[in-house]
Amino acid sequence: MVIILGRATMSMEFRLNFGKDLELLSHKISLVLLPILLFVIYLSIGKYAISLSSLPSVLFKDSIEHTILLNVRLPRAIEAMLFGACMGISGAALQTTLRNPLVSPYILGISSGAAFGAALSIALLGTGYFFLTQPSAILFALIAITITLSLSKFRGQFSPASLVLAGIIVSALFSGLLSLVQILVEPEKTQTIVAWIIGRLYAVTWNDVVTSAPLAMVGILGLLVFRWRVFALSLGDEEAKSLGINVERDRMLVILFTSIATASVVSVTGIIGWVCLISPHITRFIVGSNPKDLLPASISIGASFMLIADLISRTIWIFEIPVGVITTLIGAPMFLYLMRRAMHEWG
Amino acid sequence: MSGVKVRSLRFSYGKNIVLEDLSFEVDEGEILTILGPNGSGKTTLLKCLNRLLKPKGSVLIDSFEISKLNEKELAKLVGYVPQIHSPAFPYKVVDVVVSGRTPHLGLSIPTRKDYELAYDVLGRLGLSHLADKPYTQLSGGELRLVLIARALVQQPKVLLLDEPTSHLDLRNRVLVLKVLREIAREGIAVVMSEHDPNLASIFSDKVLLMCKGKIVGYGRVQDVLTRENIAKVYGVKVEIFERNGKRYMFPIF
Repeated sequence: MVIILGRATMSMEFRLNFGKDLELLSHKISLVLLPILLFVIYLSIGKYAISLSSLPSVLFKDSIEHTILLNVRLPRAIEAMLFGACMGISGAALQTTLRNPLVSPYILGISSGAAFGAALSIALLGTGYFFLTQPSAILFALIAITITLSLSKFRGQFSPASLVLAGIIVSALFSGLLSLVQILVEPEKTQTIVAWIIGRLYAVTWNDVVTSAPLAMVGILGLLVFRWRVFALSLGDEEAKSLGINVERDRMLVILFTSIATASVVSVTGIIGWVCLISPHITRFIVGSNPKDLLPASISIGASFMLIADLISRTIWIFEIPVGVITTLIGAPMFLYLMRRAMHEWG
Repeated sequence: MSGVKVRSLRFSYGKNIVLEDLSFEVDEGEILTILGPNGSGKTTLLKCLNRLLKPKGSVLIDSFEISKLNEKELAKLVGYVPQIHSPAFPYKVVDVVVSGRTPHLGLSIPTRKDYELAYDVLGRLGLSHLADKPYTQLSGGELRLVLIARALVQQPKVLLLDEPTSHLDLRNRVLVLKVLREIAREGIAVVMSEHDPNLASIFSDKVLLMCKGKIVGYGRVQDVLTRENIAKVYGVKVEIFERNGKRYMFPIF
């Protein structure tokens, strides 16, 4: 659906400069409208259907629909969008900065690191100290990505293959540690951790939204502000340097913002795969590879992707199917298709 | 003094000495061509002038000591065109060219003015028709010109080019070198490395002949590209002809 919309705007072929501006504008408008439209649809569909026309009245009238809308669907929709936005922009920023379309916070071990950090904090302190869960998640996200980068650096360069390999190793390491935490803690905490690992969008509360939103915003805004640096970095280390970029510092800052964005949502929802890999690729398909446009647009596509995936996850079957299953089932074949297309374009 | 002034430049990788005591000058408006066999240190020298490598000795650009400048200040003075560029993403040509504005931008993204400058430079190099093409689909010659365009958009005082004619056919080689001569005439100091002594002779104001990290000859073409020097550096006997004040060299078998 996202692709169809993208194509519809893309098909406005241009011949004149004016046409080009118009095309850009129509992209921008549809990228803003798409998640809003999906957001409204998301709120109305579910076991308790709330028709679009009655949405405003339900919002202000006390009823069972009112409670469902305000305390269940709304926080869940917002958290889904936050997650998608963070993952979309983080994936896009990492792929561009590291010059590798195959990487993502998930593949480089950032997500596993964050998940382990959050679990460790729950295991040691319990859920009562939720304000410590996020710093712990960010810390271990940074530890994970640092290990991945240092393992894959060879003669000062990150080779694409070694990055992916190192990421898989680090992911496996932290997933292993996570299992260890589950086994070692008291049974009642195991339950909390397991429930949280599966991907916890089904029980998201306003409290979760409030916990994850501020840091998610810090990560997203940081990456947006840095998006031209991200472009310069993607031209290669030596060329970025000769364009006046402090390569090591700026690359670390991009990774820091990515880790903050990723950890802020993963520490609340647990690991939901594929969104961070697939969203940037869909976005690239619509607005091109330049991070100047790619980074803002991938926020919108990531959020939209998650809204669709979560809508499917809670409506397609009599009981809810974990959203991670849906993102994988949509993401994997889509990725295959986009990769094959990209191969043609890159020649 | 504007241009480049190098005094007793030395560089080594650990104990392995790569450049030994080099001194030379390039004025604005001049082309200096660095000649020498593979492994003689041409690329290393260019990278030292751009501080991609950190040499000992003094490099003055526009009378600034480059070791005292920060990355941005240096990038406003020196443009660099690498020998090989491996594209990671199919960016549009004009976006790659406008990236030359980076040292002038800070954190903001390029404005309409920056894009106008990029289109201007593309037009001057005869590349306007490529502006919206993905730069992954360019030929070798076109890509080289696009990278030169990017360096020009940087509006530097000095332009460094690492073998700008390598892997190009004769037409594109001459095209690139003509463009460089025009650029130099507009008041930029051009320093490039080259493998073909004849092209160097035709297009440069000065040559720097290197062997194993040392200067064998430096100055006007007539004084440096002699039979003796070429035999010494390349181990090849040449016959020398003069025509219209240009010097041409042919190997003898």
